[in-house]
Amino acid sequence: MDDRFEDLFRDSAREYNEPPETPREAMWAAIQAERAAEKAERAERAERKEAYRSFRRFTVRPFRSFRPLRWAAGIAAVLALGIGLGRLSVKHPPAGAAPATAVATTPRVSAAAYRLVTTEHLSQSEAFLTLFRASVKTGGDERLASATARQLLATNRLLLDSPAARDGRTRLLLQDLELVLAEIAQLSAQPRSRDLDLITEGLEQGGMLSRLRTAVPAGASPTQGAL
Amino acid sequence: MRFRTQDPTLGSRVEERELISRVLAGDPTAERALYDAHVDRVFRLVYRMAGDLDRAKDYTQETFIRAFSRLAEFRGEAALSTWLGSIAISITLNGLRKVRRLYEREVALDDALTGARAARVVEPDLKTRLTQAIEDLPDGYRAVFVMHDVEGYTHEEIATSLGVHPGTSKAQLFRARARLREALADFAKE
Repeated sequence: MDDRFEDLFRDSAREYNEPPETPREAMWAAIQAERAAEKAERAERAERKEAYRSFRRFTVRPFRSFRPLRWAAGIAAVLALGIGLGRLSVKHPPAGAAPATAVATTPRVSAAAYRLVTTEHLSQSEAFLTLFRASVKTGGDERLASATARQLLATNRLLLDSPAARDGRTRLLLQDLELVLAEIAQLSAQPRSRDLDLITEGLEQGGMLSRLRTAVPAGASPTQGAL
Repeated sequence: MRFRTQDPTLGSRVEERELISRVLAGDPTAERALYDAHVDRVFRLVYRMAGDLDRAKDYTQETFIRAFSRLAEFRGEAALSTWLGSIAISITLNGLRKVRRLYEREVALDDALTGARAARVVEPDLKTRLTQAIEDLPDGYRAVFVMHDVEGYTHEEIATSLGVHPGTSKAQLFRARARLREALADFAKE
């Protein structure tokens, strides 16, 4: 091959896919946007992780910090106080009168009361979650949902710490419900559609609404006109 | 406000290290300075390889996004420009492979529908033939040829970017040129 061809070859090679002027600003804007989105996603992930951690801390702590001696001392003190008050307040019956039969009604009443409160709470939660799911589709006011979720969350936590949660299935339901309510309670005034999608997805996947409906006896749900 | 640093291949490593430290500390002006210092070189290389503006923009952007997120891993053994070149070439070759796979699927479908494509009627000139011959080179040969003969990279820079020995880079360039000459042999005879 002669030198002329070599020169032609080299010149033509330099023209191979000759680049235009670098679109500097357009690419920089795209890079910045992409990095900002990545940063936001990382922050959101960290936030979610932290929220979950604090949720776990809240639900696990009572069991971790359970100290039998302290509890025993407390119960003993309450018992002693109760016995003392009982002795002072009871009028002694006249001699010869037949002793009254002791009826242990208090624990039964208490269990029934807890059951009633739990049922009411679950039915309210079910109604709320049904409305929430519908409002996500139609674009409702998330501030109201967040406020209601906070109220329900407070009741839910009280119930979790009460004898109502002794039943394993109820405790599990209340714990799962707490997670959903906590997510809704954390929604900002203008939540991103992704947040809402995640919550509704969680509702669907966990079968929360059907579990609530199963737990609430027929006729007790406010959506069915009981409240 | 745009900050421009001198070409890092010519500038001191100290200056480069300082710029990197500022980027790692979260200084946005340093990020822009780093981008401005290297974007032309990266874009030119990527465009030469991709031959398409949109793809070149995508691959260049991805190069810088990846570089910023992995800057802490840069140990400074090579120049920053070489490190960026290695990211750019890896992203570009991977991207082009994906495009080629997609294209091959489409062509296979087209051929099945319309039969084999007609042979080109017009005899192309040297430039067109050379372009086609470069396109037909295997990825490794093409990268070395474009980097060395078209963009003026040294064999050391190419070797670091592609993760090969400088001797391998030289050998690949020799083979690439031989293939191109072979493809253009009839032009040489004229």
